[in-house]
Amino acid sequence: MDSLSLHSNLHSVNNKRRQITHQNSFALTPSWTSLTEQRLYSSKLLHSLRRNSNPTAALEVRASADRVLAATAKGRTRWSRAILSNPICRWKQRHHKKVKKYSANKFMKKTTPEIRRSLPAVQKKARVLGKLIPGCRKVSFPKLLEEAGDYISALEMQVRAMKALADLLATGAPPPAPIGLS
Amino acid sequence: MSSRRSRSRQSGVSTEITDAQITDLISKLQQLIPELRARRSDKVSASKVLQETCNYIKSLHREVDDLSDRLSQLLATTDSNSAQAAIIRSLLM
Repeated sequence: MDSLSLHSNLHSVNNKRRQITHQNSFALTPSWTSLTEQRLYSSKLLHSLRRNSNPTAALEVRASADRVLAATAKGRTRWSRAILSNPICRWKQRHHKKVKKYSANKFMKKTTPEIRRSLPAVQKKARVLGKLIPGCRKVSFPKLLEEAGDYISALEMQVRAMKALADLLATGAPPPAPIGLS
Repeated sequence: MSSRRSRSRQSGVSTEITDAQITDLISKLQQLIPELRARRSDKVSASKVLQETCNYIKSLHREVDDLSDRLSQLLATTDSNSAQAAIIRSLLM
């Protein structure tokens, strides 16, 4: 699996110039609302966590959850490739973000409802958004919007799956309970 | 800043197409944000959509952090491999 991921990353780097950035590139991404995807994610995550014989720290759970999520995306998006290539990057980014905290100016005047990339407000918020999504600090604005949409759907699935998994663990593995999976 | 913006622009794509594409992408992004879903009929500024997108991603990150803490504690108390195997089987059913 790791060698395949590495090969996939090298392949994507080699084809960086020819990479398609249209919406069609998301046509093959998994359906993050599918219950099957959620169950597969939960199973893979639990398998990953069981490899640790010692009690698993919360940070390790978080890192495993993100790696399994990126693997579920199969490297088809920039954020998933960023996680697979450097799992530790998330925590570095998070700590770095805490040092210089960004506070939005909620009273910023709105001059026009239309989209103008010259507006400082849009640029600043786009930069903040780029820091929140792995691997998207230096992407074009349309690409950032695409990645944000897919990343949000993936995160929502991750939350649903981890909640269901925690509920199952909390009840001490009873007979199959369909309600717990909903 | 100007050179950076022009550098990130896709070669061969005119400004008009890019702006229309951006409008469409922001509209789709708006549908994903619960805070903005209720105002589907209203036109929300791009700045507002980006702001709420950042807020929503941060809240999802916090939820995953909390769930990671919870799972870490539960795994410490569920040391039986057979119990976890039963969970995996129930997940796959």
